[in-house]
Amino acid sequence: MTFEFKMKRCVLGLALFAIGSTLASAHHSFAMFDFSKQVTIHGTVKEFQWTNPHVVLWVNVPEKPGEPAATWSLELTSPGNLTRTGWTRHAFAAGDEVIVQLNPLRNGNHGGALVKATQVKTGVVFNTNLRDMERPGLK
Amino acid sequence: MMTYFRSSAAMALALTAVSFAAAAGEVEINPPPAPADWAKLAKLPDWSGVWTPKISDQNRRIQADPTPWKPEVAVQVAQMEAAEKAGNPRGLFIDCLPEAMPSWMLITHNAMELLFTPGRVTILGESDGNRLRRIYTDGRGHPADPDPTFHGHSIGHWQKDTLVVDTIGVLPQAFVAVSEAVGVPNNGDLHIIERIHLTDPDTLQDDLEIIATRILSRPWKTSRIYFRQRARKYDIVEGVCLQGSFSERVDKDGNSIFVPMPLSEGNPVPVGASGQH
Repeated sequence: MTFEFKMKRCVLGLALFAIGSTLASAHHSFAMFDFSKQVTIHGTVKEFQWTNPHVVLWVNVPEKPGEPAATWSLELTSPGNLTRTGWTRHAFAAGDEVIVQLNPLRNGNHGGALVKATQVKTGVVFNTNLRDMERPGLK
Repeated sequence: MMTYFRSSAAMALALTAVSFAAAAGEVEINPPPAPADWAKLAKLPDWSGVWTPKISDQNRRIQADPTPWKPEVAVQVAQMEAAEKAGNPRGLFIDCLPEAMPSWMLITHNAMELLFTPGRVTILGESDGNRLRRIYTDGRGHPADPDPTFHGHSIGHWQKDTLVVDTIGVLPQAFVAVSEAVGVPNNGDLHIIERIHLTDPDTLQDDLEIIATRILSRPWKTSRIYFRQRARKYDIVEGVCLQGSFSERVDKDGNSIFVPMPLSEGNPVPVGASGQH
């Protein structure tokens, strides 16, 4: 499903754990998620990427009995669409404690479509639902 | 159904003939607009504002308005649908090349705006900086042999309050897609006719006739719906699709740079120190 490109230039002075020489793509189809299921995770934001085509929130979830620690990758829609539902690029930052409800990846990997995210220190809840926006004259 | 095809082919031929005549000797000039040309724009229907797509209707039409794939193409489509159901969808647009025509109109989840200037309607999209359609309304025809592009060469004219658009010259690699996971390249000779009009004061409808003789068994007529937004938070924002594949980092010299993201479990994962927000 993902493309692999040979990187033509060196990356300057950073140690990367590249898996092969791959240029990762963030523009997946949302069909990879199971919208009939919801999972909740509680962890710490690793990074919040406010870019097109999809905003991404990475969350480090600590080890639990029977489950090793994992980094979850949560996908949202574009910054343009999110701004209209109350998000900003400052909604989350690395180190924030966060609770996320998500529709999980069908293939069982640590990722999903973000449904709702709570910034624990302020209690602010960020929702995402483009389907609520299907009419003219939205405010 | 054959009459649609014959009349569409005839229209394309007639329009190409017009541009042949003009190319005979003279340099074609786009004249500066006169005050009358600006005044004409004021008489056009109001398509100002930002238009957001009705995504649920796009999905509904996959079943309700099925694409007339050729049998051998339907086999490929069935495989893509099965992969999608199994949670391993083929990502048609993960390379961040433009969704192109007709897929931009068919599957976008993002807003667009339509700008009127003398002799032209320009459509600008969001989320992917390459979403740009130029529809020439100055009476010109299609070039005889246009360089193929993602959005094609479009000419349009107004029939009362409906903009009728004719598009050819689309790259054969451009998908006819019904979702980000299901679609087939048009494989050449794509011809799209659109009738764009308001269905109520704040709803815009694009009635598309997609003629793709290499992959469709007949012209496919379908429609897409967009809602008008005027709240300033709906202003179109810049979008560069490929930006999502890079992390913002600082190099050893203190320069702000973009670093490609590697994959982990098939998903891009940032490494190193988190960048500025």
